[in-house]
Amino acid sequence: MSLSESTRVQAREIISRYPQARSALLPMLHLVQAEEGYVSADGIALCAEELSLTTAEVAAVATFYTMYHRKPAGEYHVGVCINPGCGILGGDAIWEKLSSRLGIGHDEVTPDGKISLERIECQAACTHAPVMTANWEFLDNMTPESAIDVVEKLVSGKEVMSTRGPRIRTFKENELTLAGFDDGLVDEGVQADEQMLAGLKRAKELGQSAPGVKK
Amino acid sequence: MTVTTQTVTVTVDGVVVEVPAGTLIIRVAEMLGTAIPRFCDHPLLDPVAACRMCLVEIEGQGKPQPSCAVTVSDGMVIKTQHTSEMAEKAQAGVMEFLLINHPLDCPICDKGGECPLQNQAMTNGQGETRFEGTKRTFPKPINVSAQVLLDRERCVSCARCTRFADQIAGDPFIELLERGAKQQVGTSEDQPFDSYFSGNTIQICPVGALTSAKYRFRSRPFDLISTPTACEHCASGCALRTDVRRSTVMRRLAWDAPEVNEEWNCDKGRFAFPYTSEGRLTHPLVRDEAGNLGPASWPEALRVAAAGLAGIGKSTAVLTGGRVTVEDAKAYASFAREVLGTNDVDFRARAVSNEETAFLANHVANKPMDVTYGDLEAAKSVLLVSFEPEDESPIVFLRLRKAALSGTTKVFAVAPYTSAGLAKMKGTLLAAGPREEVSVIASAASHLSGDSVILVGERAAQTPGALTAVAELAAKTGAKLAWIPRRAGDRGALDAGLLPIDGRNTSEIVSATGSAVKGLVIGGVSPEDVDGDLLSAIDKAQFVVSLETRHTEITAEADVVLPVAVVTEKAGTFRNWEGRDRSFAAVIPTPGALSDADVLGELARELGKSLSVSDFWASATKPALKADAASTESVGNGQAVLSTWRHLLDKGSLQSGEPYLAATARVAVVRVSPATAQKLNLVDGGTATVSCCGNSASAPLIVTAGMTDDVVWLPANSEGSSLNLPSGCVVEVSQGGN
Amino acid sequence: MSKVPQVIRGFGVTFLSMFKKVTTEQYPEERDKYPPKPRFHGRHQLNRHPDGLEKCIGCELCAWACPADAIYVEGADNTEEERFSPGERYGRTYQINYLRCILCGLCIEACPTRALTMTNEYELADDSREKLIFTKEDLLAPLLSGMELPPHDMAPGTTAIDYYEGKVGSSPTPTTVKVGDDK
Repeated sequence: MSLSESTRVQAREIISRYPQARSALLPMLHLVQAEEGYVSADGIALCAEELSLTTAEVAAVATFYTMYHRKPAGEYHVGVCINPGCGILGGDAIWEKLSSRLGIGHDEVTPDGKISLERIECQAACTHAPVMTANWEFLDNMTPESAIDVVEKLVSGKEVMSTRGPRIRTFKENELTLAGFDDGLVDEGVQADEQMLAGLKRAKELGQSAPGVKK
Repeated sequence: MTVTTQTVTVTVDGVVVEVPAGTLIIRVAEMLGTAIPRFCDHPLLDPVAACRMCLVEIEGQGKPQPSCAVTVSDGMVIKTQHTSEMAEKAQAGVMEFLLINHPLDCPICDKGGECPLQNQAMTNGQGETRFEGTKRTFPKPINVSAQVLLDRERCVSCARCTRFADQIAGDPFIELLERGAKQQVGTSEDQPFDSYFSGNTIQICPVGALTSAKYRFRSRPFDLISTPTACEHCASGCALRTDVRRSTVMRRLAWDAPEVNEEWNCDKGRFAFPYTSEGRLTHPLVRDEAGNLGPASWPEALRVAAAGLAGIGKSTAVLTGGRVTVEDAKAYASFAREVLGTNDVDFRARAVSNEETAFLANHVANKPMDVTYGDLEAAKSVLLVSFEPEDESPIVFLRLRKAALSGTTKVFAVAPYTSAGLAKMKGTLLAAGPREEVSVIASAASHLSGDSVILVGERAAQTPGALTAVAELAAKTGAKLAWIPRRAGDRGALDAGLLPIDGRNTSEIVSATGSAVKGLVIGGVSPEDVDGDLLSAIDKAQFVVSLETRHTEITAEADVVLPVAVVTEKAGTFRNWEGRDRSFAAVIPTPGALSDADVLGELARELGKSLSVSDFWASATKPALKADAASTESVGNGQAVLSTWRHLLDKGSLQSGEPYLAATARVAVVRVSPATAQKLNLVDGGTATVSCCGNSASAPLIVTAGMTDDVVWLPANSEGSSLNLPSGCVVEVSQGGN
Repeated sequence: MSKVPQVIRGFGVTFLSMFKKVTTEQYPEERDKYPPKPRFHGRHQLNRHPDGLEKCIGCELCAWACPADAIYVEGADNTEEERFSPGERYGRTYQINYLRCILCGLCIEACPTRALTMTNEYELADDSREKLIFTKEDLLAPLLSGMELPPHDMAPGTTAIDYYEGKVGSSPTPTTVKVGDDK
């Protein structure tokens, strides 16, 4: 699959947002994933061409960050946090269950291309441990059972809402959002919930504030 | 001039010193003679603090700090590993981590014996490893280019090579890929590390991760006898180190010369040396009565040569070639003018003009060194005329790039298109094909001032009026003017007087041979370089003496062939474009190897005379500089004006025998502007054929935006392009190829 | 005793020693009767792995260690087509000059792969200088049973490390046993 001319137009739009063209590389790689499902050789060539970089320089960035895939991701890219907090509270069990049910391991895709799995690092949502993500949207307070339930819904094409964010769309659709193209879903679903705001609420009760910040 | 630098006072290991503000801690320690171990630090590259080996303790800071990346501040108290337990422990710890994945293959590693990792593991590491796991391994080695091999498991991720490629050479085709323990240097699949300067990465690699195909497993460092030498390939004048094992050159390295090549050189200078040992002439050859060339003794060969030249001395011409040392050039000058009594002497084995002769006599010959590499860096602007530094004098390119990137210097180039080299220097194109050059040079005055430098290449001789225009431009703007030839011997030859003042130039010698010119004495000249048919001139000549190092087309036709020493066998001096003398010692002392000067001295004695040393330019009558008439040849349908120069790596005879180097050469392409492509019915990416006077060359076509119209560019003497014509010729250009 | 002339007394010593045990070794007639001690430093040998591949990796550490400058080594690349040793590098040229060698054994201490060891062979004399420069052919250990003459591939599925760790046995397809040319 080669990239279309409209992708190139979108890439130039991204470049125009930055004073230094090179700054556009990260969103452009998301754009490539939105188009191809992974960072393809064509995509690397396109970024290099548009930014006057060598393909080696683009490849260096694309291989450094784990959010860029070197082979096609599933339609729904599911992450399970396996860092200590989530792991102990059930993340490890969720991983075991999902991995054995789907028959795939880390960085692997189901044969039908629907689901890919990743053992992810901390998502800064430890208040909701154990945490999963589907195409980087939060799925909080998961159990092995709810994890299987969510994945089965995704596979069968039923709509799934993020527990703290909008409805979960496909990997490619979501990558376009990450590339900086508005999907109009900014206010959809639950935003910051009670648990997240608990600390702030308590601080307000006690009249505390961060040093140097005027009340 | 007094330079006021702000200084700060710091304490290193209890010693109080005052140093310029902004100095890196590691440099301050060096000044005091304290060696802090390091891998990623290189004085000519930006600090990166990647290897963490140089950790020191700074009082008041809780954690050890990388001394290669922290600049001193007033009152700073620094403790290195010699006085700080923390620093010592930190360094030993970093070393232990670096060695976890480093293989223990020092016995077969090319770096073993001269390896900073090996040495510093001994001085700053601990004797035993505590790591009991399995080391990370990679399939090895992989080619990052035909010449450069990479053993990824030896890499300590110091990023010296990638920083060099990016910051110095401007060819960032190698990068650090992946992350964490998998981090590795690599190229992209479609772009190998084909940089003219790739060999430097091998030299600065602090471990054996990068090795060269040429030197791999050929020798161990402790076998080698090293001699400081100077490069014979171009007029940049690089200092080199030549390493020899059992009378065979194993490798050449760039050597320190801060005022010239800093610590870099190009791949041609580094790898193109097999010619010194291949196909050499071992004894003199003399043509007998039957016309057969056979071996002869030195006394016989000299006697025959002297007898042949004796009667026709005044009508003999001397072509020396551009590879002569200063010493040999002086011998040629004396031999031609005083022993033979001829003024037909020329060092230029290429297209020449009488305008150029006058320009060189008036503006270059025997001038003191008034434009240097340092001046290029200090100049506000530099104008390049008929000169592509990356291809024709790579160290000038590196200096100009450094100056341009630091923001002090703007580079302007009078050229048909923006070359890769010009783009890397962030230069501005003053677009001009051969026919527009003169007017564009004249109008370039707005970019120049008294703080500017004009660099004019030897190709300017191919454009009538260009050198006159350059001289006028320099006079008008007050800019300094320097002439940069391609070959290492040209400047020395010019200063010695090997210029045809009151005599015939190279082209005139070739056309007059057989009539006014009866004899030829030829040094290191390749026939295809000369504008004119040198081989048929040799046929017509009554008597030809060739002084050569190897069997060539010329030695096959000569009457007497006298073998001379190559650079490795003799001591001598090359004078670089600045006018700076770059002397070198004999690397392989070879009994019986005679330099050109030795041979000419013997020949003069045989003729009953002797060579003398005189300053030719003190009494020479310099011809007045005036522009030659511009070409009026019309450009018809299907035709364009040729613009051409040689790539750095071409089919030059001194690059023979080194296939890995040749494989990194740039491929020949044909370039035209979009309008010209349309006019000539040429398709971008297709094959185009350029032909003229019975010769033709085909190469892929690249339609180049911003290029001058009605001009076609094609490299000369390259693999796939043997069209050796000067710029300015009108050539046929057609789609398709043979 | 003093009455016996000195001359006769001298013969007395000769006479008495006729009844002592003879210590003279009859070389070369009885050379096998007096073998050298097991740790005697004699002629060198370049050893092989059990499948016949050479142990020498051409690292030249022996040459560097040699105090008499008697050893000359040139390394070269093993290729897919022509493999002489496990790993990347092998010793293409290997020479020991026994006119210089002092049989000190520093070279075998330096050898990182135990490729170079010393035999008990001490008959190192000949009638020309050339013959006393032993080349790789002279020094290589003979092919024993189970060894295959290099160049040949490493055993399937093995790496150079397996060879160094002694995990590779003899070749399943040995060529005819060939004894090295001993000088």
